[in-house]
Amino acid sequence: MHGLNVLLKKIIRSGTGRSRYMMAMTGLSFAIILMLTAVQLQADYRDLLYSKNNRDSVANFLVINKTITDQNLGATGLTESEIKDLQNQAYVESVGLLTPSRFKASIQSASDRFPFYTDIAFESVPKEFIDITAKDWTWNENAMFIPIIAPNMFLDFYNFQFSFSQNLPQLTQQVVKMIVFKVNVYGPKGMVTFNGRVVGFSDRISSLLVPEEFMNWGNTIFGKKQDLKPSRVIIKTRDAGNPQLTAYLKGKNLSTDADKTRFSKYRRVVDIVVSISGVTGIILFSFALLVFTLFIQLTVASSREDIRLLITLGTSPSQLRGFLFLRFLPGTLVIILLSFCMVGIIQFLLYTQLTNQGIFLSRLPDITTVLAALLIAGVIWMVTGFSIKKCMKEPLELRGA
Amino acid sequence: MKILLDHIIPTPLKDRFSQNGSAIWNTSVQFTQGEYIKIKAPSGTGKTTLVHILYQIRHDYEGKIVLDDRPATAITGDALALLRQKQVSIIFQDLRLFPQLTARENIELKRVMQQPFYESSVIHEMAAELGIEKILDQEAGLCSYGEQQRIAIIRSLMQPFEWLIMDEPFSHLDIENTKKAAALIARECRKRDAGFIITDLDEDSHFTYSRQLHL
Repeated sequence: MHGLNVLLKKIIRSGTGRSRYMMAMTGLSFAIILMLTAVQLQADYRDLLYSKNNRDSVANFLVINKTITDQNLGATGLTESEIKDLQNQAYVESVGLLTPSRFKASIQSASDRFPFYTDIAFESVPKEFIDITAKDWTWNENAMFIPIIAPNMFLDFYNFQFSFSQNLPQLTQQVVKMIVFKVNVYGPKGMVTFNGRVVGFSDRISSLLVPEEFMNWGNTIFGKKQDLKPSRVIIKTRDAGNPQLTAYLKGKNLSTDADKTRFSKYRRVVDIVVSISGVTGIILFSFALLVFTLFIQLTVASSREDIRLLITLGTSPSQLRGFLFLRFLPGTLVIILLSFCMVGIIQFLLYTQLTNQGIFLSRLPDITTVLAALLIAGVIWMVTGFSIKKCMKEPLELRGA
Repeated sequence: MKILLDHIIPTPLKDRFSQNGSAIWNTSVQFTQGEYIKIKAPSGTGKTTLVHILYQIRHDYEGKIVLDDRPATAITGDALALLRQKQVSIIFQDLRLFPQLTARENIELKRVMQQPFYESSVIHEMAAELGIEKILDQEAGLCSYGEQQRIAIIRSLMQPFEWLIMDEPFSHLDIENTKKAAALIARECRKRDAGFIITDLDEDSHFTYSRQLHL
């Protein structure tokens, strides 16, 4: 078979179409690089969003409330159906209700050495939405103190503004966690005092959080109004930058921390770039394939007489098809391999560049890129086979001459 | 392989072939493997047409051809190629070499088209026997008709076959070279227990024919 193919190669020449072949191959290379790059970029972006290295815990939890306008002042509660609708969105993994305290409260220092007093309100949220794993994050009536999670920015505000203006010492998180203070809760039957302690600091929710057990108990015993609609919810999402989420919130007149969703703008830009690259790649690929099949047809047509004589002498159609397949396919496979290597090099360069900036990408092309390359190989395989079969049909029907 | 010709009439000859005396056209005739068949006829009576019909590159005829028990028309594609690679070999009157290939490559092509019947050294031996060993590496298109005819003869002998079909195979050869070629063909047919069908214009004694038929 090898000897036969060597002779067939001398007989079925394609010298006249050499430039077309080079054109098709160049087009094919660019097209495949574009398509694989699009797939790889998408994979990189996914990687940035979901991989553990890059995961920004803040970005994945959003506190959502109604945008306050002149029209809805005092009626910013979220209805059950609104919450349910939010829960049903594909990009929302779970929704937690933020329960506000419906009683008056204040905190004050336990000792006079470090005096402070302020009125305060609390919120509570289901445990799974809290980014602090404090073992004391629970409460019952016999508890020694009420654990509290404070927003980081409260401490920043104290350390960098308040302490200067009041001539007070700056405090570290560790020091704050050691301070036990009084929590006064005012109910219809008077004031009840508890001990309170900050057990952690969070960036996720910008309010003082207490365990749900305390909140439910407090609201029952001291609450002024019952069955109030929740005004804020916290959602867990896989991608806070999802443009669909941003559009949904906007459409429903809901707002959240814009800083967390700003990524959606970049996401849209990335999506557009990836789409343009992908679509251009597919169009270029289609044209390159067309030129490639024309080249196959041209080769067969220009060797039509020789192919007929070969068949007359006894060369089988499958031998000829096999030869043509071997003639055309390896070139395209090499092109795919080279294009894949090129995408691999680009990925490695991206990896080294971005690692310096603290963004961690895989140094190797993603598995989806490998699959895309295999898919492209499959498409070329099929098109080549189909094209050879089609253009060989006529000489074969002649059974030689 | 038995070849049965059952009332074959080529369409182009339909109106002008002689109804009287043809041992092939419009009659039933069977060739048994191992027979040496000579078909003699003057020019224009359809010798080449018959060869092409037998080799199945012409289909414009009435009647039917049966190879063993298979109708020839049912053999197509890879099966037809297999028949041409292993059971039926041919020497065309118009030789049909690839002019861009050397003489050796033309012969080699038929050797490697299927599981080789002979080692490649046999090419040189046969070429030496027919006196063309010196032009083996010359492009076939540059060889004389006599040389090309001997290349075509050797090419036909490179494969296994049960029948060798020859269409005026010595038309460009002198008496001496014809004798050598005929001896080689006879020897190769014996080696394979094969028969042949040869067409020619005149009487000859190149072979010991089993049958001589007039077209």
